[in-house]
Amino acid sequence: MSEVYKLIHPVKHFNDYISIKTRLDGRNFDEHRNIKLNVNSIKTADASAVVKCGNTTVVCGIKLELAVPKAEEPDLGFLITNVELPALCSSKYRPGPPSDYAQVINNIVSEIIKNSKCIDLKDLCIVPDKLAWVVYCDMVCIDHDGSLVDACIIALIASFKTLLLPSVNYDTETEEIKVETNERINLKIHGLPVATSFAVYEHFQSQIILLTDPTNYEEEMCGGNGSNLIISYNKGLLCGIQKLGGGSLSTENNEEAIRLAEQHTIAVEKVINACLEGKGTNK
Amino acid sequence: MVTDMKDVQDFKLKPMKCEFNFLSKSDGSAILSQGDTVSLVSVNGPLDIKMTSQRIDKSTLEVLFSNKNGKPSVENRYKENIVKQTCEAAILGSLYPRTGINVTIQELEDYGGFLACTLNCTCLALLNSGVSMRNVFAAVSCAVDNQGNVILDPTHAQLQTSTATMTFVFDSRDKSLITCFTDGCFSQDAYREALERSRSASDLVFAFYRDIIRKYCNVIG
Repeated sequence: MSEVYKLIHPVKHFNDYISIKTRLDGRNFDEHRNIKLNVNSIKTADASAVVKCGNTTVVCGIKLELAVPKAEEPDLGFLITNVELPALCSSKYRPGPPSDYAQVINNIVSEIIKNSKCIDLKDLCIVPDKLAWVVYCDMVCIDHDGSLVDACIIALIASFKTLLLPSVNYDTETEEIKVETNERINLKIHGLPVATSFAVYEHFQSQIILLTDPTNYEEEMCGGNGSNLIISYNKGLLCGIQKLGGGSLSTENNEEAIRLAEQHTIAVEKVINACLEGKGTNK
Repeated sequence: MVTDMKDVQDFKLKPMKCEFNFLSKSDGSAILSQGDTVSLVSVNGPLDIKMTSQRIDKSTLEVLFSNKNGKPSVENRYKENIVKQTCEAAILGSLYPRTGINVTIQELEDYGGFLACTLNCTCLALLNSGVSMRNVFAAVSCAVDNQGNVILDPTHAQLQTSTATMTFVFDSRDKSLITCFTDGCFSQDAYREALERSRSASDLVFAFYRDIIRKYCNVIG
């Protein structure tokens, strides 16, 4: 009966749930879904991670390549992120070239990483003007059930944490490159950026409700996929606040969102550290 | 920090100049300069679009952004998305089901705060085209310099030394936040201060809209 009601009167059905202060999957407004994280699951990649936030699943693989740095920035390496939304992740996407939405998500993810300054591109340079690492970060969404940016950032950061750079010997005279895959050093990560998504729901015009870690259905009910409020933290500083359209926010909502994002950041940091420690002891 | 702001600040924005109907063939167009930053926006619609992108409950908004060199890039998609999402919250799309509204943006000069200028220009072009809107919106940009001070509507020189930039878009009715995007690292206090100062400064933009409308349409002004 409830399923029929949901199909015929989707807005009223959603409203009724919000009125009794609960969400469709039984969570409270400020509750996030369980996070499952696994690192180094893809052996052929240089570093990898799989993350599941509720149903949202993202696989991240990192591949290393050597290249000549740009002439304008001879002491910087390259960090290239790519978010893929294949047709398999949701019925909304068609096979073919990357959709506009995938490009937007990719831009948000790469901006968060860039702004948080968690990776110093100078660390990726081997010999200025001659040789530098190119870090290709490919994130593939297997199942898109909302809060995609959060999942992408977790997967990416967990992969970075396990990334080991092989040591390279470069002969300046003969220009010979020798890669020692047995001698590897950790890549320096400054802080641990975490993104938190909120859906903004206008309940009876006046009341604004923030739904933490929304599912795909909740995102759609709150003004479409692109209109989440995304707050990112790194080392206690904000490194990106995005909100594009959707419901409008008052000052109080803003304060609440910042407070919740701070709490969520601590929780996610614990998950990532616990996962990495678990892997460390198993070795 | 918010309380003692009023005596410190005399909310000043860069001088704004605007011309309506800059393009003769579009349904609505506006060119806006904020200081040295200039943006040109044309709006066409509601018009016929192909079946696959039609929506039965509201109009489809299509935004095209072209920068100075004309090359398409991922960054352009992101800027288009910002304008699209912001306009969708403001336009009464349900009045024009199965149609499309086209917004075309041309970058002319970028000396800082370009997206804020573009969003304001888009709002003026929409007003000029006569598309029904729920409310108008005003965009204000802010920068945080290396001492942590918030600068309202920064100039090109100020942007070179700033550590973060933020852009806020407010609606005209209760001045609540519609859109917000940031660049760089900043503290919570800087964010709060920037938000409140931009909110107050948005009044100036709304007053400017009113002046322009009064000049061009003496019936509704």
